[in-house]
Amino acid sequence: MKIIFRIVLVAALLALGVWMWTMLFPSPEKVICKRLTELARTVSFSPNEGNLARLAGAQNLAFFFSTNVEVTLDVPGRVQHHLLGRSEITQAALGAQSAVSGLDVKFPDINITIAPDKQSAVADLTVEVRVSGQQDLIVQEMKFTLQKTDGEWLVTRIETVRTLSILNFEPLRFPSIVLR
Amino acid sequence: MPAQKKQTAQTAQTPRLPNWLRIAAVGRNPKFTLARIVVLVVTCFIIFKFILLVIRTEGISMLPTYKDHSVHLVSRVAYLWHEPRRGDVVSIRLAGFHVMYMKRIIGLPGETVAFANGHVLINGEVLEEPYEKLPCDWNLPPEKLGPNEYFVVGDNRTMPPRYHEHGIARRDRIIGKLLL
Repeated sequence: MKIIFRIVLVAALLALGVWMWTMLFPSPEKVICKRLTELARTVSFSPNEGNLARLAGAQNLAFFFSTNVEVTLDVPGRVQHHLLGRSEITQAALGAQSAVSGLDVKFPDINITIAPDKQSAVADLTVEVRVSGQQDLIVQEMKFTLQKTDGEWLVTRIETVRTLSILNFEPLRFPSIVLR
Repeated sequence: MPAQKKQTAQTAQTPRLPNWLRIAAVGRNPKFTLARIVVLVVTCFIIFKFILLVIRTEGISMLPTYKDHSVHLVSRVAYLWHEPRRGDVVSIRLAGFHVMYMKRIIGLPGETVAFANGHVLINGEVLEEPYEKLPCDWNLPPEKLGPNEYFVVGDNRTMPPRYHEHGIARRDRIIGKLLL
């Protein structure tokens, strides 16, 4: 019985050690995932949020991106935008805040691939957007390219990914989506 | 002296639960109960991780077959022994498994798919669709499918095509078939 207890104790200590190691020295994938989740939270705003808080949110958004960031949004039937630089992103965020009463953005699936040099990464993710007052859920697969600059992972490029490709015509509006 | 020892041992014992409560809580044989719990947990983990996915639909594009906010099961092993078939309702992944599209396969690899006056044309022949109960007036030019490509669309085609997510899904994006 004593041996079993010792084995369990050693296993628990090992697990605790591993957990503490991962907390103190997180992998780049974990750091990027956390940063992207923070980005989604910063983009989001609730209908009862004050103007100052919204403005601060839009300003803070710039810190997630590199100065020469390029955003290509091509969601046929919904959005077609090309943004260049942090200031255009801030402007777009302010524009979105004035256009809709609330926005809830989430990245439910994030797949990260780190480059061999560990200085850049690509995140393939699903963007899930709920607009306040609208029943439809907007989902879009996107690709984020990130670069490590002064120890921080900054987004350098965002582009939409066409999950269902089509050559001749343009889709979207009422997707039947399944959630888990 | 031995009588005193016996008394001390009896007082040191924790008060026991009534027999019926003990049986209800841990069964007649606690070891077997523990083994049954372990087997049940492992079985549930394997089933719901690798075999079945529980999903909730959101959106109207699969009406009237699948209603908004309904719960269903997706079999991840349905296509282990055969490839997806025409008429199958499948889950198509985006970046991961938390948000997926739910669509019906109408076109198989190598076929040409078109829409004429709301009818689906496969290699120029009209496709019988008993599940298609809502009016449709789509007219879409032919799409030639490559190998490992499937044409998917929702059952509700009452809205214009550009408002309905549909198109060509690669085989590796189809993760399972809807069971219920």
